[in-house]
Amino acid sequence: MSDWEIWLTIAVLAVATAATRSSFWLVGHHINIPKRVQEMLRYAPACALAAIVAPDLMLVNGSPLLDLINIKLLAGIVATIFYLLRRNMLQTILFGMGFYTLLRLMHVF
Amino acid sequence: MTEPSSAHPPDTSLCIVSAHHEAAWRAGLKAGTPTLFGIGAWGLVVGIAMVKSGLTVVQALGMTLLVFAGSAQLAALPLIASHAPVWVIFLSALTVNLRFVIFSALLAPHFAQLPWRKRFALGYVAGDMTVALFLHKFPDPAPQPGKLSYLKGLTYPNWAAWQIGSIAGIFAGSAVPAEWGLGFAGTLAIICVMVPLIVGRPALCGVLVAGAVAVLAVGLPYKLGLLLAVLLGMLTAMAVEEGTEKWRQIYRGQP
Repeated sequence: MSDWEIWLTIAVLAVATAATRSSFWLVGHHINIPKRVQEMLRYAPACALAAIVAPDLMLVNGSPLLDLINIKLLAGIVATIFYLLRRNMLQTILFGMGFYTLLRLMHVF
Repeated sequence: MTEPSSAHPPDTSLCIVSAHHEAAWRAGLKAGTPTLFGIGAWGLVVGIAMVKSGLTVVQALGMTLLVFAGSAQLAALPLIASHAPVWVIFLSALTVNLRFVIFSALLAPHFAQLPWRKRFALGYVAGDMTVALFLHKFPDPAPQPGKLSYLKGLTYPNWAAWQIGSIAGIFAGSAVPAEWGLGFAGTLAIICVMVPLIVGRPALCGVLVAGAVAVLAVGLPYKLGLLLAVLLGMLTAMAVEEGTEKWRQIYRGQP
């Protein structure tokens, strides 16, 4: 992307922040969100994050690699288990990066 | 619909909510302090990820100061790197941010009396942690002295910790060689944001479908596989929820 395209992207991301975080603040008073819409609002972010992370972990050079040689996938799974046990983001990132770096440097698999 | 201001004349309730309240400010500061280190570290990771995905230092600084939404920024980075169209990046960021709509609906009635510019700014800077801590202290949206001061005591240090961490990450990241693979810290951070959002079976099914579709549809043009994955994941989650409810009703012998 060229420089101006990146700045345009940054601008639309700022709009995305404002549109979601400030939306009901501008409305002001209390509004009941319908149940269906609440479900959508609740499930969409987790699905979006999964859709971002999954290709990052599972694709190697553009094709799926579900194997122990895929050290990103392995480190991602181990980090997820670590997070489920400890519930601490900082520790999980440090542990996951440590594990990933170890695999990368030692060519374990 | 209930107008919180209807119980008081507007001027009085505005004063009650917005007058500076030293004790509430300190209480907010105290409640938020234990989270600041984690927020700073999360900012650091996003800062590193921004420069490692190819943004210049100036672009990364602009992004952290203007966007101020870690998960949406992390979501946008791989899309920027793979030249996805701007509208696809916008829709992806909007989807990741949708949880904030619920937060804003919960928090906004507390400050309905403030002028709109102030409300807009407060909403813009109120992240996940701020909302959770504030609602823990003030569950009731009725005007109460010190509310605004408490919110500011939570929000300002939160904003500063995030920006300091993020800017440190931008400069640290640009000094570290790419082979270290520090960009992977961004992926790990997304996992840590995602896992607590997976509450219950419908969400788990939705996430699994979204992940699988995203991998299988990665070849679609304009990175549309991502949006398709979110859509199918969301529909799966809603279908599972409806199905579970129906099954429960049948099990209980209700119509």
